[in-house]
Amino acid sequence: MEKKHSSHQFRSNTLPALVMVGPVALLLVLLVAVPLVYVAVMSFCTTDEYYNVVFKFSLANYGKLLSPDYIKIYGQSILIAFITTLLCILIAYPFSYIIARTKSKRKQLFYMLVIIPFWTNSLIRVYGWRTFLGTNGWLNNALQALHITTEPLDFLYNQGTTVLGMVYCLIPFMILPLYTAIEKLDGSLLEASSDLGAKPVKTFFEVILPLTASGIFSGSIMVFIPCLGYFFVSNILGGGNSDVIGNLIERQFKSGNNWPLGAALSIILILVTLLLVKIYKKLGGDMDSLGV
Amino acid sequence: MKRKNKKAFHGIFNVAFCGLVYLFLFLPISVIVVNSFNATTSKPYLSWKGFTFDWYVELWSNTSLLSAFGNTMIIALVSTILATIIGTLGAVGMYKYKFKGKGILNSLLYIPVVIPEIVLGISLLTIFSNVNIPRGMLTLILSHVTFCVPFVIFNVRARLDGYDNSIEEASMDLGANRIVTFFQVTLPVLAPGIGGGALLAFTLSIDDVIISYFVNGQTKTYPLKVMESIKSGVSPDVNALSTIILIGTIVLVVLTQSNLLKKKKEE
Amino acid sequence: MKKKIISLMMCAALAMTALTGCGGTEKKADNGEINIFVWTEYVPESVFDKFEEETGIKCNVSTYSSNEDMLAKVKSEAEGTYDIVLPSDYMVQSLIEQGMVEELDKEALTNLSNIGESYLNPSYDPGNVYSVPYQGGVAAIAVNTAKIDKEIKSYDDLFDPSLEGQLVVLDDYRAVIGMTARSLGYSMNETDPDKLAEIETKLLTLKNNVKLYDSDSPKSALISGDANVGMIWSAEIALSMEENPDIKVVYPEEGAYVFMDNWMILKGCKNYDAAMKFINFMLDTESAQLVSEEFPYLCPNTAAVEAMGSDYSENEAKNPPAEVISSGEYVENLDNETLEIYNEMWTKLKE
Repeated sequence: MEKKHSSHQFRSNTLPALVMVGPVALLLVLLVAVPLVYVAVMSFCTTDEYYNVVFKFSLANYGKLLSPDYIKIYGQSILIAFITTLLCILIAYPFSYIIARTKSKRKQLFYMLVIIPFWTNSLIRVYGWRTFLGTNGWLNNALQALHITTEPLDFLYNQGTTVLGMVYCLIPFMILPLYTAIEKLDGSLLEASSDLGAKPVKTFFEVILPLTASGIFSGSIMVFIPCLGYFFVSNILGGGNSDVIGNLIERQFKSGNNWPLGAALSIILILVTLLLVKIYKKLGGDMDSLGV
Repeated sequence: MKRKNKKAFHGIFNVAFCGLVYLFLFLPISVIVVNSFNATTSKPYLSWKGFTFDWYVELWSNTSLLSAFGNTMIIALVSTILATIIGTLGAVGMYKYKFKGKGILNSLLYIPVVIPEIVLGISLLTIFSNVNIPRGMLTLILSHVTFCVPFVIFNVRARLDGYDNSIEEASMDLGANRIVTFFQVTLPVLAPGIGGGALLAFTLSIDDVIISYFVNGQTKTYPLKVMESIKSGVSPDVNALSTIILIGTIVLVVLTQSNLLKKKKEE
Repeated sequence: MKKKIISLMMCAALAMTALTGCGGTEKKADNGEINIFVWTEYVPESVFDKFEEETGIKCNVSTYSSNEDMLAKVKSEAEGTYDIVLPSDYMVQSLIEQGMVEELDKEALTNLSNIGESYLNPSYDPGNVYSVPYQGGVAAIAVNTAKIDKEIKSYDDLFDPSLEGQLVVLDDYRAVIGMTARSLGYSMNETDPDKLAEIETKLLTLKNNVKLYDSDSPKSALISGDANVGMIWSAEIALSMEENPDIKVVYPEEGAYVFMDNWMILKGCKNYDAAMKFINFMLDTESAQLVSEEFPYLCPNTAAVEAMGSDYSENEAKNPPAEVISSGEYVENLDNETLEIYNEMWTKLKE
């Protein structure tokens, strides 16, 4: 028995590994790694007077990106992403917990209700907020009709609305992994904990939270990082006043027409993200145990 | 008694909290639905000019919007299926086997999630134009598979996290080969993760606008059409189409739900 | 359970695809198709429909928000992806210099005589070898007089602190920086570093006044009341005036940013004759009228202007006075270093 077992493990791992991992490896190498190397190379290039990329080594792009003006935008962008992530956790955790642990027969329906809105195009939905919050929008009209306010209030086009739009767009990325993690929780464990006399708060911090940390972490990654890049949210709801790093990149690739600078910005963004992951590893230990 | 009260309070709190979250999720959608019945014909279609069904009729003559929607559905279906297969195999393979370059592959996996979509879009575009693949349906599908695969893998992995390897070993010890084991033992355990991943992939694909913008060539998708119309105020026929899609999905969910409930009762 | 839901959803998705496939079958175009790349909110759907009906040539239309936007997209696509573009003056020159465009077949342009003398033979394309004018306009000032008491006469007035949070301005760095330069009495195409530094200082004082940046449909914010003053395209003002009579157009005393957009055919165009037919069609009087009805910019088609009568010619927002155009300034191509300074200013303004 022992022998057979080990031969199973040993016999032909190469072929199944290749079949299983091959396609994804091929895809990632050809459509992610190679293009990114190209972008990395481009970030050291310059442009000619017609905005064509010239392959001549230069560090000028990176020099420019370290100027205080840019650093201010990185800061603002990271702040927006941080607040968004925090709000997402605060809303999504109790929400996912309630719907994942409900005994209702309609549990599946509750889950689907989270996803349904996201089958409607996100641009229109973000635009919907604009209609709702505008000077003559639903909210202002309602407030005035109820005589709560006399003058329309200014809701739109600031960092607050940008954050609102980000939370709105990204919250399912927090809910879904949390739901999965919480659903996996073993009920008997919680019972055991309370049977052993642990208070709910203690059970939460010492049993539930550690077991669902993987959900929080992968949720945070999926919220925080897109947040840095979602330029259309700050365009539609921020009115162009609360740029995130994505707006800078978009501008370089579009109206600015300085692709090498945009490429350098992208590389910086990738480095920032890798740094975040590194810090996490240092603090929280093994990534794989978290199931990300 | 006290305990009961507390419980009831918990119940009310739970319902209220979830209700608020659902309100938040559905509020902009109600704006869309209401505006699809707005009789206004002047841009930016904001002021209310009375109730009409006209836009639902108008919609059917807007062939460019409809064919864009058709393209989106085709792209979403094909890339979800491909991404789910590739992602599930990859997740299980990476979980089970040790191989050279696993670490690199693992980090590569984060990249489509990590980098802003615009960078992925631009980098894909440069590659497609360097290799000279004509931009269109094919490049759209390839790109969508690329950014969907990691999400499938994340979902499957979250499931694998608590996966007990020994049941697979048991299956093989009982004489089942690898393939049978994979389909009969591994897949059912992972099904929720795979399903969640596929659903997420589909959702991401039908909604993608940034990456599609760079790799579409002359092929229009529904989000790209919306992107163009949003610049001048979303026109009510776009709202009408969104409303139809919404109603379609809701009907579908309700049908499956009641089916499931019925089956449970019969059992 | 979840799998069932998903498979059901997939089936429904398939069904929807099939449905739209049937609904969306387009009438087959016999005479080929052309790919047209134009500004957002600039060429009405009805004109394309009319052209398709008359010629049987199908139009695939895509839109862009700025000249640079267009250039970036055209460059990144294979030649032949777009046949016809609609760049502004300075971009016309740039496209010619880069050898990206085809000469126009003068013999096919039978309607060119509709265009007013003063609009032909521009400095950016002498002899109209590569381009013919479509429409022009001004980056003018819109004021909602019901909400704003201050009298606004110039670009300089837009910097007044009393206008805090009131402005919608074009999301276009050449326009906003150019406007600032004009307000100081400098050229929109200033290259002198000292003057640029001065411009930057002034530009940054605009920050508090700007509620939002929008190039595509700035009239929306004016109509909805989200902004009460605008530095936007003249026809956008004309359209907002139709929705809200309190809105007035003001042409800045310093001399305004003016522009003229032009039809061009890109190199690699797959259906040159059809493209020429389209451009000639756009020069037709009736087409120009259709365009003006929906997007009332400065119309170089004198035959159409006559036909439209006073509704067009006496509306200052639709038909900017001749002295506004003559005292105005066009954007020019600048060297890379200067553009970089412009870009930096813009980044600072928007951070």
